[in-house]
Amino acid sequence: MLIAVGACGASGGGGSAPATLVVGEFNPFTGPDAAFGPEMVGGCIPAVKLINASGGVLGHHMSCVQEDTRGDPADAVPAAQKMMATETSLAGVLGPSSDEALATVPLLNQGKVPMFVDTGQAAFDHTSDAYFWRITPADDVKGYALALWAHKAGYTRAAAVFGNDAGAQSDVPTLVSAFTRLGGTIVYNKPFALDQSSYRSEIESMLAAHPQVIFTEVDPQTGATLLSELQQLHGLIPVIGTEVTLQAPWLKAVNGAIGAGPMAKYFEGMQPYAPPQGAAWQAFNSSLLASGSQVPKPSQWSSDPYSMTYYDGVNVMALAMIAAKSTSPGTFNKYITKVTEPGPGKTVVNTFAAGKAALKAGKQIQYVGAGGPIVFNRWHNSTGAFEAAKYVQGNLTLVGSVSAAQIAALSR
Amino acid sequence: MNTLVPAIGFGIVTASILAVAGVGFTLQFGVTNILNLAYGDTMTAAAFVAYLVTRAGISVWLALVAGAAFGAVFSVLLNRGIYTPFVRHGTRLFGMIIVTIAISLILQNGLLAGFGANFFSLTMARPSSVHIAGMVFTTVQLAIIAIAVVAMLLIHVLLRYTKLGKAMRATATDPELARNCGIATDRVIDLAWAISGALCGLAGVILVMNVTAFTDTTGSQFLIPIVAVAVLGGIGQPYGAMLGALVIGIASELAAAIISPDYKDVVAFVILVIVLLARPQGILSEIATRKEVAA
Repeated sequence: MLIAVGACGASGGGGSAPATLVVGEFNPFTGPDAAFGPEMVGGCIPAVKLINASGGVLGHHMSCVQEDTRGDPADAVPAAQKMMATETSLAGVLGPSSDEALATVPLLNQGKVPMFVDTGQAAFDHTSDAYFWRITPADDVKGYALALWAHKAGYTRAAAVFGNDAGAQSDVPTLVSAFTRLGGTIVYNKPFALDQSSYRSEIESMLAAHPQVIFTEVDPQTGATLLSELQQLHGLIPVIGTEVTLQAPWLKAVNGAIGAGPMAKYFEGMQPYAPPQGAAWQAFNSSLLASGSQVPKPSQWSSDPYSMTYYDGVNVMALAMIAAKSTSPGTFNKYITKVTEPGPGKTVVNTFAAGKAALKAGKQIQYVGAGGPIVFNRWHNSTGAFEAAKYVQGNLTLVGSVSAAQIAALSR
Repeated sequence: MNTLVPAIGFGIVTASILAVAGVGFTLQFGVTNILNLAYGDTMTAAAFVAYLVTRAGISVWLALVAGAAFGAVFSVLLNRGIYTPFVRHGTRLFGMIIVTIAISLILQNGLLAGFGANFFSLTMARPSSVHIAGMVFTTVQLAIIAIAVVAMLLIHVLLRYTKLGKAMRATATDPELARNCGIATDRVIDLAWAISGALCGLAGVILVMNVTAFTDTTGSQFLIPIVAVAVLGGIGQPYGAMLGALVIGIASELAAAIISPDYKDVVAFVILVIVLLARPQGILSEIATRKEVAA
């Protein structure tokens, strides 16, 4: 019943003053993964700012509303139900993350709420949920990227140090199989309980296996404790992390714990390749930097690929509404691929304003956003290349990349 | 064998933090019978006090004192300002647990609002490594062990050899009888909150000295092992908590080294369950099974 109310909420008809269309930022804002939410704000706010500055969508303005899942399905399910029941003009959501996706994606899909998810769970690689859209790589793809990058650096013995949460553990199977296929050996692979007061015993066990490199995805507190203890007890060895380790809280926590010099020397992280350049990124970044009143320290998200894809997600929804001539999710959801997929005679646009103008002129468009081209497969998944970055003097520095073709070849 | 000896050493460090926190938790519970589930968040708040002190360029050792002082004052005020009025209005054991959970949430969200969803580190010199009998410690970890030993000795002296200690034990056993015998139980309860709070603050600071990066939830994440230590030792029993800390600290490190890091907490709680099956009152408990809250 609640779901039905939420689903009807954003319908475009009616004679009263146009309601502000709400984009739900459905992610953890508190709890162990509280860092996820602010990253999402760094994408949503710049997007709605530009959309509203361009006259909005079919007469409606848009806004971003934080919906805290606390990173826990037990909190996320009621949060989703409340959001769908109370946000009468809910156009769509950004999220859920891996913490709560399995519990909430079916709910949101049943409620006909388009969702641009940031979960990487492989369970959604072949989803048939019509309202599910993923423009960030699945976790199993991350495993391939990490393995390829380590192989390129010549490492043959690796330790897999991943948190015991579902999100981190979903990286591991493809990492192990890919690294093995590339001729390497995972010499230590045990899930880590997060946020313990120490990891000294784990470090001793891991080092007894003589790894050359550590693959990791753990939360900032665990990463800081683990690596500082490794440094204090035996000295650091190279570390290759997933995109979680390239987020500002992780970098700050670990950099503070082990020091800037060792951080620059031993640590690299892999994240979806979204170079901070080009017209789409310029528009995103200008709007982001002008959003200081709503986005704390906005510059920290300037080169964050996830913030870029959240930004793109909002733009895609808004353009799909215009293409569909409806703000009703049940209608515009079908138009999402129509404004993203390439095709002959299509006008490539990099901003909402350009897309809106082109659609108004009767053209068909392909939106290429700050995160690059979006090409959905039949299961509404779109993935791309990965970049490797180091953290040098407080800034992320690109040191190389792994192409989508390399990943595809390894995943066959 | 290669990993066993270091794991025991690491377990001693974990046990030291757990002992300081667990003794503070159980001491206050023993005297007042209020299960203070805001204890972990008070630890976090003390850690933030230490963070502010070290950011001001003051030594981490003085930050330890500041954290302990904050814990003592805050705990007394918390009891006087919030818990005592509820008890006087007739709130019973279960009701008080809900009140302490509410305080826990308020504290946690207050810290989140004040400091933001970020990670913080105390400003202190990088420790060096010391090898002792096949075990590796950092200088900070040795300091943590020393702090715990001194704190436990002081608690022992307090409980065994001072009038206050006797009064606390009397109040813990039977507050009404203690009052009838002329013990100023209100004052004893205040002092119990202060001592417990000081240990809580101290535990919060040494915890974040050890983990190096902390956030608004660090202390609350540590609450479960603290409660486990208190229950294992016999809730309300400071000596039991010391013993419980050693058992859980070493068992969890051995589990991480021998079985899997994923079973670190599991093994500790399996031991807890086994001990409680044999001795439901905990290892050392003689009391605290039939009391009501006292304030």
